[in-house]
Amino acid sequence: MFYPRWIVNLTKGPAVLRRRAATRGAKAPMPARLFARSLAIRHLDAGSCNGCESEIGLMGSPVYDLSRFGFSFTPSPRHADVLLITGVVTEAMVPLIRTTYDAMPDPKLVVAVGDCAVDGCVFHGAPGVVGNLAEVVPVDRWIPGCPPTPDDLVDGLLALVGRGASAPGEAG
Amino acid sequence: MAHIRDLEEVSLLSICREAAREGQKILDIFPAEGGTSVALWGEDGKIVERDAGPGPHERPSRCGFPSLRFSEERDFPPDAFEPAAAPRAIIGEGMHVIPLGPVRADVAEALRYEMDVLGDEIHSLTLRPGYKRRGVTRILQGMEPSQAVEVAERTSGTSTVAHALAFSLAVEHALGLEVDDSTAVLRSTLAELERLHSHLGDLASLAAATGTIVAAADLYRLRDSVLRFGERWTGHRYLRGLIAPVGWRRTLPDVSAELPSLLGTVEHQFQVVRHALDHTNSFLDRLHGAGRIPQEGLELVGVVGRSAGRSEDVRWDRPYASYPELCYGRLPAGFAAGDAYGRYVVRCEEIAQSVAMLRRAGGHAAAATPAAERGDGLGYGLVEAPRGRLFYRVALRGGRIAASRIRTASSINWIAVPLAVANRNILQDFPIIDASFNLSVASLDL
Repeated sequence: MFYPRWIVNLTKGPAVLRRRAATRGAKAPMPARLFARSLAIRHLDAGSCNGCESEIGLMGSPVYDLSRFGFSFTPSPRHADVLLITGVVTEAMVPLIRTTYDAMPDPKLVVAVGDCAVDGCVFHGAPGVVGNLAEVVPVDRWIPGCPPTPDDLVDGLLALVGRGASAPGEAG
Repeated sequence: MAHIRDLEEVSLLSICREAAREGQKILDIFPAEGGTSVALWGEDGKIVERDAGPGPHERPSRCGFPSLRFSEERDFPPDAFEPAAAPRAIIGEGMHVIPLGPVRADVAEALRYEMDVLGDEIHSLTLRPGYKRRGVTRILQGMEPSQAVEVAERTSGTSTVAHALAFSLAVEHALGLEVDDSTAVLRSTLAELERLHSHLGDLASLAAATGTIVAAADLYRLRDSVLRFGERWTGHRYLRGLIAPVGWRRTLPDVSAELPSLLGTVEHQFQVVRHALDHTNSFLDRLHGAGRIPQEGLELVGVVGRSAGRSEDVRWDRPYASYPELCYGRLPAGFAAGDAYGRYVVRCEEIAQSVAMLRRAGGHAAAATPAAERGDGLGYGLVEAPRGRLFYRVALRGGRIAASRIRTASSINWIAVPLAVANRNILQDFPIIDASFNLSVASLDL
């Protein structure tokens, strides 16, 4: 029924937040495979040259057809399982990366795309450039390349969820 | 040219002053510094010093937004993003602000839009760039040209060739060197190949924004075929790691046999897609009259400029590389109406132009030649990047870069976006107008 839940939500706070508070202390055991099939991806540009965006955009084209794996891009971090971060990580983007990450529901994964997100590439040490995504959010997978090709990206995403060729025994 | 002794100290203004004292036309020295940037000279070559007022970073933020980082260099015109025609705060019943970004859309660059809307109608648009500033000119300082060209290539990933070429031309101009004819031809070939894939990608995103997904899929596929050809030929999809000042960084095979078949396929299939789009009312209705650039006299460049009544094209106006032999079929001024449809038509025509130029250029082999460049000097490079005029100014001292300035087409053309969006359009037009410009944020936030 709607009304009893409504009253509980009003008095004790939303159920989502209560669940989150309950699980915060005791870390739940992580399953071997977090995501079995579909994956909602949120892309975030943290100071890229637009090369990585160009290749990520091509992943949806019929040549690579990301949707055949059940993967899709989502406009909202609230629906996202994976945060795909490109670029050198500028200081202006650091709080936004954290906000986006915090807005994603658990379980969640972070993928750093391109040499820039790995170490800043040629912009390493530039003013206003953090250069290493791992200093901002925990990174689950690195997909290097300048820019990584759509094939690299698809492979990287499949390997991330244990469905890639680079994860033997779990493929298929 | 006025000989500048202390390159690090000298500012653009003092260069201009010195040149004027010697009776030179500044337009001859820095042609691309004109336009909508702080105007330093008039039509007759006389210096007009104009105080541009405080930059956008010095203005108070309206919605408590974090102050953004800008270098002290003023790389884009201060009043560009807040035109006088659109007052900053529009107050009234039903008016509200729709913030968008910097994390926005499906896959998009970091830029914040703030739209004042009443119902569906967009009354003004404020752009807030600055999230992506990577200090490109700062990091170039002190680098050797062979190292710096790698940074230039990564300034705008989809205009890699244009940036590398403009930088190389600037260094060569500073050192008083020229490249041989075969290198010049290859440079033009790579530049046109880049224009081809860039324009195909721009049209694909326009088709996707209008919901014509079959055309979008076809255009993306065509674009990928061009990128794959680039990878087979040069080893890199975006043609990186090739162009360098004076030299040539990698050995290239001869693809003069393969190139015509690729061009034939692209040309034929593109014509099929274009024919279909030109006969799809749901596509055309969304473009005609949408995002019309309202003001005459805006000095826009590139595709956006050519769709809004200007004819400027560096390839014709100041031919570089091997363009003197390649160029033909220039688009006439006033070719298009300055709306989203105009930008669509100009891109379509330029794809045909690029294919014709690539046919003439062929795809020759090239041997890697070591770049040996040392010396002092001040030079500029001016090229037509896929999105328009791209300008590099490089000051060399002791074989290293003492100072540099980059002015991209996007940094000029973003001015037109708020004007075009707030020109009697509704919210539903916004993604289409944005895609019809398809400007680069990386080129704005250098």
